Amino acid sequence: MIATPSQVCLDAPPTARAISGYCLASAGRASVQGVGGTDAVLAARLAAGDDHALAEAFDALASSVYGSALRVLGDNSAAQDVVQDVFVELWSHPGRYDPMAGTLRTYLTVLARHRAVDLVRSELRRVARQERSYRLTPAPPANGAGDVVLAAETASLVRAAVQQLPASQRQVVELAYFEGLTCRQVAHAVGIPEGTAKSRLRLALAKLEEMLDRQLLESS
Amino acid sequence: MTAADRDPPVLPPGLRDRVLAASLRARAVGRPVPDAPKISATEAYRRAARAFDAALCLLGEDDWRTPVLRDLDIQGLVGHLIGVEDDLHRALDGDPEVADAGHVESTQATALDQAGRPPAGTRADWRRAADRTLDLVRSADSAAEVAMHGMQLPLGALLVVRAFELWTHENDIRQATGWVASVPDPSTLRLMTELAARLLPQAADRAGLIAPVDVRLVLTGPGGGTWDMTVGGDAPVPSAVSIVTDAVGFCRLVANRITPAGLDLHVTGDPACAAGVLAAASTLALD
Repeated sequence: MIATPSQVCLDAPPTARAISGYCLASAGRASVQGVGGTDAVLAARLAAGDDHALAEAFDALASSVYGSALRVLGDNSAAQDVVQDVFVELWSHPGRYDPMAGTLRTYLTVLARHRAVDLVRSELRRVARQERSYRLTPAPPANGAGDVVLAAETASLVRAAVQQLPASQRQVVELAYFEGLTCRQVAHAVGIPEGTAKSRLRLALAKLEEMLDRQLLESS
Repeated sequence: MTAADRDPPVLPPGLRDRVLAASLRARAVGRPVPDAPKISATEAYRRAARAFDAALCLLGEDDWRTPVLRDLDIQGLVGHLIGVEDDLHRALDGDPEVADAGHVESTQATALDQAGRPPAGTRADWRRAADRTLDLVRSADSAAEVAMHGMQLPLGALLVVRAFELWTHENDIRQATGWVASVPDPSTLRLMTELAARLLPQAADRAGLIAPVDVRLVLTGPGGGTWDMTVGGDAPVPSAVSIVTDAVGFCRLVANRITPAGLDLHVTGDPACAAGVLAAASTLALD
């Protein structure tokens, strides 16, 4: 069993971060005196595989990391996931933290904020994808006035996006989707090989997806 | 520091355990990052011998007479190392006489014999002896026990001891001639720190450390790592101490070339225990 260090100085200014501290008397019965660890020492211990250093960093800084994530996400569970990501990252790649660039507290809270923002973006993308998929899925026959308006709005969005495609791509999309031709028939109609028709269609769909994603994200 | 930092939210229960467990799944305790590429003990010896030879090549004719260790000049020190290699060859041959021979006493005659010889001849003899060591261990079993100079160790460990000694004496020469100290490459250093940590409990026994101590030894920098060990006895509730220092400094302490006062140390736990452990570490030196 190993004692938990009583003093951890995690916010020492860069000038105080040289590895120094305890000194042993050189003669006779040695005695130990000195100060606690600094961010640089903590980082060096993490790199050496000292899990007590990780526990110390967690105990001193996890609340700030959690708070940083919580402020962005507003969700306890997602913020806890960010705290886990941040400390696993610190343990797996301690060398990415540079003690000369700032305190460990700043590094971890900024990392938490970036992770939280990434999470929000990824969630927005997921919702937008769902929304788009919903809007592009052929709807059952409209029953009410609201459905009719929604269907008309979606169709208008898609047609506007198709109009922005380069002419060669727009032509194959219109033939395939608005006139219902197969790929082979599109190739024949345009006078290009079937493989070319397929690749133009693939490129066009990727562009449409990107454009519709952006429009949906902007309207979210 | 923001207002939120001054009054951070309370952590949900269980989060600490969850995060620490996930971290240790990603990377095991004690494994340094970046980890040094693994090399064999033979390769560590070969590298140390090459570095030692390179230092000898830089010596001018007069440098060989520079006093360096005990009553020896540099030429005598190289003679001591010729004697150590000769004893190793005899140990590999199973000669029982070298098992308990003293490291210094057994080699002193060869060391003193170098006086008056051309330095190039001393260097050539040492190079031949080191090359013969490499020839002999090439096909040997690295796990086979070899006894020499009061040590009984697997051959692999003994070769790391030899690499350790060559690095130590190379730096004796560097210090005597005013050159900057050298540092082993991370792979060799990792083998040296591993061996020193493994031998620390025996050193503590030998140093008469009575009170048992649970030691966490954290050696930082390239070639470092983290080790847990109990030294100095078998009581049910030992004291606990954590010692953090840099890997190269610790090796210099083990070689008895610096005292604990010369180390950058961070100690938690009982300071007297830490002092005892560090004093024990310096008794591992062969000299």
